[in-house]
Amino acid sequence: MRRAVLLVFVIVGLAWPLLAPRYFVFLASLVFVNAIVAMGLNLLSGYTHQLSFGHAGFLAIGAYTTALLGLHGGGLPAPLALLGAGVVTAAVGVALGLPCLRLEGLYLTMATLAFGFVVIEAILNLDRLTNGADGLRVPAARMGPWALTTDGARYYLVVVVTALLVIAALNVTRMRVGRALLAIRESEIAAQASGVPVATWKTIAFALSAFYTGVAGGLFAWLIGTLSPDAFDVFLSVDFVVMIILGGLGSVPGSIVGAAVVTVLNDALAGFQNYRPLIFGTILIGCMLFMPGGIAGAWRRQTAP
Amino acid sequence: MVISGLATGSIYALMALALVIVYNATRALNFAQGEMLMVSAFLAWTAQRAFGLPFWASIVVAIGGAALLGFIVERVIVRRSPTATHWDVLIITLGLSLVLRALAGMVWSHDEFPFPSLFSNRPVVVGPVRLAPVSLGIIGASLSLMLALYVLFTRTRLGRAMRAVAQNPRAARLMGVSVERMSSISWVLAAMVGAVAGVLVAPVVFLSTKMGLIVISGFTAAVLGGFGSMPGAVAGGMLLGVIENLAPLYLPSAIRYAVPFLLLIGILTVRPAGLLGRATTRKV
Repeated sequence: MRRAVLLVFVIVGLAWPLLAPRYFVFLASLVFVNAIVAMGLNLLSGYTHQLSFGHAGFLAIGAYTTALLGLHGGGLPAPLALLGAGVVTAAVGVALGLPCLRLEGLYLTMATLAFGFVVIEAILNLDRLTNGADGLRVPAARMGPWALTTDGARYYLVVVVTALLVIAALNVTRMRVGRALLAIRESEIAAQASGVPVATWKTIAFALSAFYTGVAGGLFAWLIGTLSPDAFDVFLSVDFVVMIILGGLGSVPGSIVGAAVVTVLNDALAGFQNYRPLIFGTILIGCMLFMPGGIAGAWRRQTAP
Repeated sequence: MVISGLATGSIYALMALALVIVYNATRALNFAQGEMLMVSAFLAWTAQRAFGLPFWASIVVAIGGAALLGFIVERVIVRRSPTATHWDVLIITLGLSLVLRALAGMVWSHDEFPFPSLFSNRPVVVGPVRLAPVSLGIIGASLSLMLALYVLFTRTRLGRAMRAVAQNPRAARLMGVSVERMSSISWVLAAMVGAVAGVLVAPVVFLSTKMGLIVISGFTAAVLGGFGSMPGAVAGGMLLGVIENLAPLYLPSAIRYAVPFLLLIGILTVRPAGLLGRATTRKV
């Protein structure tokens, strides 16, 4: 049963550009990009129970890195450009995480909030590099001699990258890093006492989270074509938080479902700017009061014998 | 320059105090504090505009409305949360801040409104310096409120009970202090302090739904002084206000808006316990 459902999803996913109008191909790509960010944020929040309001900042760093690599990198192939975006963002993540992760949850949250604002200010002020508020045009992604210029081509690139990252996220608990993070989630004190270096692994979780977001940033840059700092404001970070709270903390399928719901809602409510925060705020409060564990948690309770 | 910095600083200090009051009683951060301030400032404005109340009465309306809002939020929403860890409350109040801002936008629109000031605009000349009465008024009003809070926390039974809960909720409960009631009172008190800050700051920054962002400066101030310490919150607020006002003199002016954030990251890196805070060591 579960396999059949999964198979249907895969087939529809692969045939989507042939079935749907162009705009919906773009929207589906955006869902996957947001799902990557949500998975990344969930690696941090789901395991360490620390909230980040800085992921829009990480997304911006990944996006601008990709754009600049495209402009000055001399036709770098897309996978390398994405890898570059991920690595640069992860490095920034480590630089921010090293001091902040020794702190309790509350402080990390506020520090990442501050980080998001600093990134936007930095983009505005480094206008020789980033073109400031005027916006930066992103050259199309290249794969050897081809440039990915159609929505369909970009969609398949996004799908492949998302699939790889989903597989990695699902398997992370089977690796040393995943086990360490699980131990930390259950009890930091017990983990530390068993010889798990808590601070080191938390920094690694932060770096991984930033890496995911950086890669997503690169894909995002190619999707929207023009970057400007106001696309990465703090409300985008809040959207990411809504995705993982609604989807379910620490759940990979939950991240994807949450990303899909929030992205589609965002699109549907584009004409009703006042209702958007009202609905998202209500979702947050409602989830905390009535559905802890989000959609993934509710699903688990429904299907459990 | 320094005086107007101190004026901004006393607003931050009040904001920080409101956050610390709730934090001490419940170990949680109220992310919606800024939006609650914004709503109470709008209430004062409406009382004045629509019902033609005198200024003093509208302030009373704002403080009363804020107290009611704080009470409702604590009773109806926060207390229902199944576990009420700081994580839960943070996300709930984050949701609440979105909802409050959206509702305020529907009721009062997202425009900016001028807010009448208590104090005249004619500068006061003291020796070689000219001082804006607005700044002096803000500093004076804030200081008297802080003094009142100091008396409340050190001289009254209620204040002692609240400090007991802050120190050790379980011991306080064993001594017959109702932790739930103290939590409720803390939310109300914090909302009232926030309302005063709102009425004081509204003439300076204009009344708008964006006012709520001041919560970040308030948090920075509280961290600067050592989170949980009330004198620390006041000192941190004043310091932040002065630094923010003086920074553009020595650094590129574009940096002004990044100052609180850079300062926040800096202080968390170097001295997370804050200037007046005591470092807490955790046993492993």
